[in-house]
Amino acid sequence: MAIWLHELKLFLRQRMALPLLLLTLAVASSAVVAGVAEVSRQHDVIERIQPQQAEDEAAVAAFVTVSGDPGSAAYYTFHATWDEPSPLAFAALGQRDVAPYVLRVRALSLESQIHEGENYNAETALPGRFDWAFVLIYLAPLFLIALLHDLRSGEREAGRMAMIQSMVRSERSLWLRRVAWRVGLTYLALSTPFAIGAAIMAAPASEVLAMLGLAALYVLFWAVLALLVARLKFGSVTNAASLAATWLVLTLVLPGLALLAINAAIPVRQGVELTLAQRELVHAGWDRPKEETMQDFFQVHPEWRDTPPVGLGFHYKWYYAFQHMGDVGVAEQTTAYRAGLEARDGWTRRIGYLLPAVGVQVGLHRLAETDLAAQMAYQDRIRAFHDRLRTFYYPYVFNDVTFTMDDFARAPRWGQTTTGDPS
Amino acid sequence: MNEQAGPGPVIEIRDLEVSRGGSRVLDRLSLSVAAGETYALLGGNGSGKSTTLATLLGLLRPDGGHINVAGADPAAEPEAARRQIAYLPENVALYEQLSAYENIAYFMALAGAEPDAMRMDEALDAAGLQPEARERRVGSYSKGMRQKVAIAMAVLRDVPVLLLDEPTSGLDPRATADFNQLVTRLKQRGTGILMVTHDLLGAADCADRIGFLAQGRIVEEIVPSAGMDVLALHHRYTEAAAA
Repeated sequence: MAIWLHELKLFLRQRMALPLLLLTLAVASSAVVAGVAEVSRQHDVIERIQPQQAEDEAAVAAFVTVSGDPGSAAYYTFHATWDEPSPLAFAALGQRDVAPYVLRVRALSLESQIHEGENYNAETALPGRFDWAFVLIYLAPLFLIALLHDLRSGEREAGRMAMIQSMVRSERSLWLRRVAWRVGLTYLALSTPFAIGAAIMAAPASEVLAMLGLAALYVLFWAVLALLVARLKFGSVTNAASLAATWLVLTLVLPGLALLAINAAIPVRQGVELTLAQRELVHAGWDRPKEETMQDFFQVHPEWRDTPPVGLGFHYKWYYAFQHMGDVGVAEQTTAYRAGLEARDGWTRRIGYLLPAVGVQVGLHRLAETDLAAQMAYQDRIRAFHDRLRTFYYPYVFNDVTFTMDDFARAPRWGQTTTGDPS
Repeated sequence: MNEQAGPGPVIEIRDLEVSRGGSRVLDRLSLSVAAGETYALLGGNGSGKSTTLATLLGLLRPDGGHINVAGADPAAEPEAARRQIAYLPENVALYEQLSAYENIAYFMALAGAEPDAMRMDEALDAAGLQPEARERRVGSYSKGMRQKVAIAMAVLRDVPVLLLDEPTSGLDPRATADFNQLVTRLKQRGTGILMVTHDLLGAADCADRIGFLAQGRIVEEIVPSAGMDVLALHHRYTEAAAA
């Protein structure tokens, strides 16, 4: 045991050891603080929505209930939806910095409402968020390289190797102890701020352990790589340069090339193109004969075929019919868009088996529920909610039922599973 | 007096053959060092002196021949052989950020020993390192002071074999004399010492036997005597090197 303490003392007395460990701790802590702050901000935004939503609904109800027009009720009422961050989102923000986590939807055509929010702010999208996953994946290997590149070569260059070899009982144990302290303390500096952040966010223990396990595997990968390079018996400078070049290739160049290859192999139209396509369909609906639109709509919703016909003037049942047909018209494109994104995501996961940086990123984002799958799940929940909105409003609109203050109170709410029904 | 050293030689090399980089460096080298004896191995650059030490330490595998270090074969069981050896490289490199005490404690821990402060002081006293310097970081030490720390380690380890690689190169005459005294003290404790050196005068002063190494083998071996003609010795040395 004493030899372990001697090794620790020796390591901590090295000129760069303590500053590097403190830097690792500071950077990991900053990333956790930034992540917790961002997630708290998102929680605050979501909390603020609900009273504002109630205020907005009351304002709409005040003027809509004068006429009792259900079409106006459906048209003017925005319904807030939101995607609460998971307890571990602070560690790997993933898509949450660019994909919307709050969306107010109406009973109009949906797809354009979903994809309007995909116009990213290029200034924030380009550098990405400074989160714990970023520190682990991109910076931790550099700290490890700084601590391990001269493990053996440093002793050779200082002229101590022969003396060490002449005294040490087991050379393998010596290097093992030295690697263990370097890797162990770096891992501790990385994982302690994360564990504190996870405790603050009340993250489930199993997922915290899974993230810590993933981080440990990644740290071990770089440690083993550094040891393999050390076995080649190059000088310290050559070791450092080789490892830095490997880091560049494994974390930046190859993932970048893989992303380019995936994007080229699986072309996916932008969400905004989907929005435009649907807008064009909806706008064309104004110019189509009402009867044609209604017949198309009744093909999809035959349950409203026997309701009173629309006249020559404006009627909301025609308006909602062509709004809905806008969604139906881009259904194939929506499916293709989603399939394309999921195919790209699938290839990214496969590449993760080859490139540890990609694999760990995919794993962390999955555990934090901030990946594409989580984003798609939110969109699915919005679509299901939108269906509930239409199911709620259509009976009022198609049966010309007066919309009262009580009906506003019965309208679907995000997060509720049941709703009132006027029929 | 160390306990490992038994009767007979503590170092025995017979017909040792070692190659490095495809060329033969040691060519049927034979020599032996008895307990309490100092053997100086003299030779020019590339004659095989450092290769001999590295092979004794088990850092190089011989192509042929036989080696025995206090009962252990460095080729077959290098770690067992190293447990019998204290080694002083030409430039004793210690951990500069540690004091003499801390360096000794660390290296001794590597060797599996935990000397207390009193034993360390005794060893440092024996090595002649001033008490006021012992708490200082060795980064500020001279070469002679570093050697004294390494000698203290050898004293503490109490091993039967001491290997010295150019121990007096770069030392001033006073430090060289101090060093020779240290070697004599270790020899008196029963340590068998193999020293490789260019320093004829030092070798003649403290060695019991001197072997001239050329092209990987001992070409001449002499026993220095009082009043020996160092110029004559130098003449033989250069002849041996030329041969």
